[in-house]
Amino acid sequence: MKLDTAPRALLLTAVTVYICLSAAHATDTRKETKIDIAAGGTVNIVSGGGSIALHSGSGHQLLVAYTLHSAKVEVDQNISANRQRVELITHALPGEKPTADEAKVDYDVTVPAGVSVNVSTTSASITADGVNAEIGLSSETGQITVHNIAKSHVRVRSMTAPVNLKDVTMSRVDIQSTGGTVQLSNVTGQRVSVGTTSGNIEYLGDCSGGGDYLLTTHSGAIDVTLPPTASVDLTARSTNGQVENAFPLQEKSHNSFVPHQGRSFAGTSNSGSSSVELQSFSGKIRVKKQ
Amino acid sequence: MNCQQFQETLPYIIESGGGGDDESHLQTCLSCASLVRDLRYIAEQAKLLLPMHDPNPRVWSNIEQSLKREGLLPEGRMPPLGHITKNSTSQTETKSWTPLGWALALTAVIAFAVVLINYKPRQLPQVPLTAQNNAADPTQFNSDDQQLISQLSQQSPDAQGAYEASLRDVNAYIADAELAAKSDPGDTSAQALLQDAYEQKEMVYQMATARSLP
Repeated sequence: MKLDTAPRALLLTAVTVYICLSAAHATDTRKETKIDIAAGGTVNIVSGGGSIALHSGSGHQLLVAYTLHSAKVEVDQNISANRQRVELITHALPGEKPTADEAKVDYDVTVPAGVSVNVSTTSASITADGVNAEIGLSSETGQITVHNIAKSHVRVRSMTAPVNLKDVTMSRVDIQSTGGTVQLSNVTGQRVSVGTTSGNIEYLGDCSGGGDYLLTTHSGAIDVTLPPTASVDLTARSTNGQVENAFPLQEKSHNSFVPHQGRSFAGTSNSGSSSVELQSFSGKIRVKKQ
Repeated sequence: MNCQQFQETLPYIIESGGGGDDESHLQTCLSCASLVRDLRYIAEQAKLLLPMHDPNPRVWSNIEQSLKREGLLPEGRMPPLGHITKNSTSQTETKSWTPLGWALALTAVIAFAVVLINYKPRQLPQVPLTAQNNAADPTQFNSDDQQLISQLSQQSPDAQGAYEASLRDVNAYIADAELAAKSDPGDTSAQALLQDAYEQKEMVYQMATARSLP
């Protein structure tokens, strides 16, 4: 069969593209492993770039799948004798100096209920979805996302990495970030604490649960959006920044400080069951109605 | 001890580190603490410069000729700068002195004197200042910060910029929070900010430490 010039060129192009893509993928190596871990154990993951996805799973096995993007790095698995501690550590092979792209590893980890997870990365993004355990996540620049978690303790530390928590309920939450923006949506619990240096803090939710909510920043902005049903005892104070309130609060009969127009305010809404403290040095604080 | 008494003992403090009274004054006076920090920095930098190699003797020769032309250096007053003398008995070359060292030491002394002359003790204002307005830049790195940055520049140059920026921000936070806390010691909000600022710095150090582990 004789092909015309145009279809032949098209076919040749397609074949060339296919070969190139195959060659590119040939450097990727995917590995999967199942690790028995004791109930109440801990998984520590240390990696540089790439991504880390954590999911919740049943049973007592840790399911780990990871993709290496070059042969210059490897993942070490260290398991303690009593299987209480599992470590997954990415590192360059001796004598190799992988580029940032070559050093990337993509992890996909399924974590049994009750197993704590600690992840530390430099630029890898971290996503934890539905993990039913204590989690500690740390990244210098990689986005940190935590969704669908209840009755847990979530610790997040970032340098410039953006942090996003959504639907984290009845939990204890501690977040520290120097320059990353922190976004919280429907995050509630007995203690929710966020501290940033220059990163903005956004909170959307009802601060329910009768807990303590403390949002602190040096120069970042704090934006809090509350529904009318929110039951809060709220104070907002800024040393040098502006403070604005567009949420209906009842004035308190007694304050622990003297409010200054434009610099601080305090009040309660409904029964005031949760304590909400917003503090900044020079960052603007805004509270508004949802 | 007031600021004037403290400044009278400055040379002793810079040289030996000071005594108990000096330390307690430094704890309470931001202006003097800032001055001492600046002077120590100058002294440290001057020490670092001393081991540098001397420039080519022609440089000194040209400077000498220029000084003579300007009438600033009378003939026969001193040997040429950087001149290498030959010891006739041992036949070994020895440098009679290190002119660049002297020049740098002189520069350090002049800088020291300029700082002292221009330094005016002042009371802390009642209204809180921002770090950006503070005369002594609080965002500058202390020796620990410098060490951390230096280590990062060797191990992870890509991360150096991010850490420098974070440390600058955190140092400004600490300086502002300290000012706010000192201007109103009873202000629990200011105390909370200060604690948060230190926690932020601790976090940056912990991250850098974790990164440097093998």
